[in-house]
Amino acid sequence: MNLPGHKFFVGLFLGIIVVWLMVMVMLVRASALAPEATGTMLAVFEPKTTSDQAFAAIANSGGKPIRQSSFSFIWVVSGDEAGLAGKLKANGALGAYRELPISPMIAGCFAYADAKVSTVFGD
Amino acid sequence: MNALAKPTPWYFQPTTILVAGCLVAIINFGARSTFGLFTLPISQAHQWPRETYSFAIALQNLLWGIATPVAGALADRYGSARVLMAGALIYALGILGMIYADTGPMIDLMGGVLVGIGIAMSSFSIVMAALGRLVPPEKRSWAFGLATASGSLGQALFIWPIGQTVSLFGWQTGLLCLAVAALCIIPLAAPLLIQNTSGAAKQKGEADLTMVQAIAQAFGHRSYLLLVAGFFVCGFQLAFITVHFPPYLAEHGISKEIAWASMLCIGLFNVVGAYASGIIGGRGEKRYPLSAIYFARAAIYTIFILTPISTFSTVIFACAIGFLWLSTVPLTMGIVTTMFGTRYMATLYGFVFLSHQIGSFLGVWLGGRLYDLYGNYNVVWWMSVGLGVFAGLINLPIKEQRAPSFEAA
Repeated sequence: MNLPGHKFFVGLFLGIIVVWLMVMVMLVRASALAPEATGTMLAVFEPKTTSDQAFAAIANSGGKPIRQSSFSFIWVVSGDEAGLAGKLKANGALGAYRELPISPMIAGCFAYADAKVSTVFGD
Repeated sequence: MNALAKPTPWYFQPTTILVAGCLVAIINFGARSTFGLFTLPISQAHQWPRETYSFAIALQNLLWGIATPVAGALADRYGSARVLMAGALIYALGILGMIYADTGPMIDLMGGVLVGIGIAMSSFSIVMAALGRLVPPEKRSWAFGLATASGSLGQALFIWPIGQTVSLFGWQTGLLCLAVAALCIIPLAAPLLIQNTSGAAKQKGEADLTMVQAIAQAFGHRSYLLLVAGFFVCGFQLAFITVHFPPYLAEHGISKEIAWASMLCIGLFNVVGAYASGIIGGRGEKRYPLSAIYFARAAIYTIFILTPISTFSTVIFACAIGFLWLSTVPLTMGIVTTMFGTRYMATLYGFVFLSHQIGSFLGVWLGGRLYDLYGNYNVVWWMSVGLGVFAGLINLPIKEQRAPSFEAA
């Protein structure tokens, strides 16, 4: 009987992970908030941003920092004022995303990649 | 004359069957790992106390365990494909029913009973039985490892997209996606239809026993009982970690972020561990690596609880325990097949799995109960260590050979 070997199944699993990544990219793109959005959201800054810089940007936007992820550039932010997402962007955030139910750190990495791509393509 | 023989169509080729089996295992195990994400939104939508939904999910786990030997018996009798297809339909109906269930008894029926039975009937143990019959004996353990690794991969991959979908489009859409995924099992199980004519047939070298006789003989076989007892420990240890590890970490100042990352590490290392265990099981006696896994778990638990808990120790623990997570499954299934052959393997593995689920129930329940009693998890951690040593010891005397009553006269 001719059975496929280990390499075949490693390839299959990697292929499935690639499909999964594509689904995640689409879902994270759908989570990007319009500038007028308000409420609780994930703010993603450039990775070199320090906690102080991110904190200041959030405060200047009229938002309240709820918690920081294990990465200093990913924060969960809350605010009542309309247009919080737009203000965060104006104050240096790469993007604002709907709060993601799973770990902000890992979700923030997807969001960072999405924000970077959006910046490159001028979205 | 031979030139006129029709070639096997591509969808009945071994490669297609193996790939389809992997995808079924990914969907089945992936979908079932996401039900925790619905606790809050469903409870809030219906203004239920958290207990209502939790009870349905507890019932689901219980039904999954109870229905597994029955599903296995059906698979052994009518072939894996039909059971997987029927299971997928029940799974999808149960999930869809959860959208419309607006009372406690309804969510118990839909999310508890139907989904639990659906999971059992479309689970990777049914896939393992199918693959075990497909491949030659020397490749059987590898095939079991492959199916287990696929289930583990599903567990790691499903939770985020579904969590995201619930957050973006609502819990009803999340459940709808799961129901559609469950229905995908039906076409994916179709290649396994090729086995339906031979599923319950007596294999070469196997005694001609009825299913009832086989079950009775198995429960009279000492090595089978040792295996059942060992697998109880597996369930106890894993379910305790699944449910009580995140709050344990929180108590020790480890952030939720790291807790999530640890669970991800467990999921990913589980894929590697399950696959590796399948390969190792094919190279010699399975009881030794099986014992080693239980001893290693006990050692890892001991080191983890005796050393100061930090982010580093948490991640290392998660990777190590992830590697050993479901690596017991291919070896256990392999020993069942060695002792009793392939004819009733789904049924007999089903009873071993039932013991696993009873262990799971106790691991979760005792974890909470003893925490309430003592204010910490120390007792349950040490129970897990003790049980690990016990399981390691009792797997050693297992006789890895065909049980006398299962040998052809």
